[in-house]
Amino acid sequence: MAPDSLAGVALAWADQPGDLPRHFESRQALEAELRRLFPAAKGNLSPIRGGRRQAEALLSRIQPARYAKGRNFLDGHVTHLSPYIRHGALSLAEVRDAVFARLQAPGGGGRQAGEKLINELGWRDYWQRLWQQLGDGIWRDQEELKTGHHPGAYAADLPADVAEGRTGLACMDGFIDELHETGWLHNHARMWMAAYLVHWRRVRWQAGAQWFLRHLLDGDPASNNLSWQWVASSFSHKPYFFNRGNLERYSNGTFCRSCPLSEQGCPFDASYEQLEAELFAPMPSVRAGNDRSRERRDPRRRGSPAASAALSRPTRRR
Amino acid sequence: MQCPILWIHGEALGPANPALQAYPGRPAVFVFDAELLAGRSPTTGDPADATPQAVSLKRIGFLYECLLELPVSLRHGDVVAEVLAFARAHGADGIVTSAGTDPRVEGICQALEQELPVEVLEPEPFVELDGKVDLGRFSRYWRRAEREVWAAASQEQ
Repeated sequence: MAPDSLAGVALAWADQPGDLPRHFESRQALEAELRRLFPAAKGNLSPIRGGRRQAEALLSRIQPARYAKGRNFLDGHVTHLSPYIRHGALSLAEVRDAVFARLQAPGGGGRQAGEKLINELGWRDYWQRLWQQLGDGIWRDQEELKTGHHPGAYAADLPADVAEGRTGLACMDGFIDELHETGWLHNHARMWMAAYLVHWRRVRWQAGAQWFLRHLLDGDPASNNLSWQWVASSFSHKPYFFNRGNLERYSNGTFCRSCPLSEQGCPFDASYEQLEAELFAPMPSVRAGNDRSRERRDPRRRGSPAASAALSRPTRRR
Repeated sequence: MQCPILWIHGEALGPANPALQAYPGRPAVFVFDAELLAGRSPTTGDPADATPQAVSLKRIGFLYECLLELPVSLRHGDVVAEVLAFARAHGADGIVTSAGTDPRVEGICQALEQELPVEVLEPEPFVELDGKVDLGRFSRYWRRAEREVWAAASQEQ
């Protein structure tokens, strides 16, 4: 067979008529076969390969201290393990033990170096426990929105320009292309996209969640839907949003440099105060006794990556 | 069960799958769930959406590549019907699988149980928490879980 052939491990029992093939000459052959078997499924294979071997290779490269320091940057040292964990190629317990082993090895840094990574594994476990509790109710708002807008004010469907990756915003179109081509996105990009869709475009979070589930290799209604709800504010104390300064910083300016709207017309180019006034309607009952500005400065308030994104509040650029 | 078959589902495509660990070498099957892949199940689509869309090819490809590294036969269609047909073909006296988070797994197990005994094995948890866990916010869960997770780490040393 060719060097890139894909052969399933041998089975101790005989094939039955109707079994799907387990040997392919190449990845291209697998792709062609899948197109034939699943004609409704659109797109190509991801450059990200499935399987335990890939998962173990990634697991051997985790660096907990670097992860803690740089994980909010798009080029930060994140693990890329989520698709493998989602489908159990690696269990969360196996990842936990591998992290512990790394921390305890010489130069591993001990508990301090690993707290953030273990905390993020905890988020995965937390979302899974909630899914178990909520069942299919995970598709419904867990709480009222805190945006000041009636749920009926949100569009039901994904706008065509978003679905096709032609919003005209270099960042969003870049993320959409990556989602469609690879089925994986950095967590920060997911949050920016969700906030853009729900708050700037005022689309129901469910439309975005469903779109992500079609594409994300790690997509499950637990982490996905509940994070969308967190952004939308139906599972948090306030909506998550960002501004240009935040996106530019954590993407190292990559998108803004090539964006046609960089000089004029960027919808994110404002202070947090201005954007808050623009995007949300006043909600006196929610704001009473709720010091929002203090909350936003406290990075431990939610313990999630979003908190640190909302943390950086750069001054208005123009 | 003397000669069960194993039903492998999409949350456990690795060697940590407790069914594979408990019954090594037994015939195992994975079914590409037609309804789920069509976006018509809450695993992949909003139940309130009248126009479901199919899951993209790359997700199927990812699963397929995981599955090629496991001793498992692959089928496509209705999961319950395919697993039962596989069990019959192998003269099985029961079905073993692993617990899933997705309510769909539980639903399928209940349907299978109409025909054959089903044994559901629990995978190793990330953290064991006794009694009711407050999941109102992550911070409340983590106040309890963090201590337990790290206690396990120090036991490993």
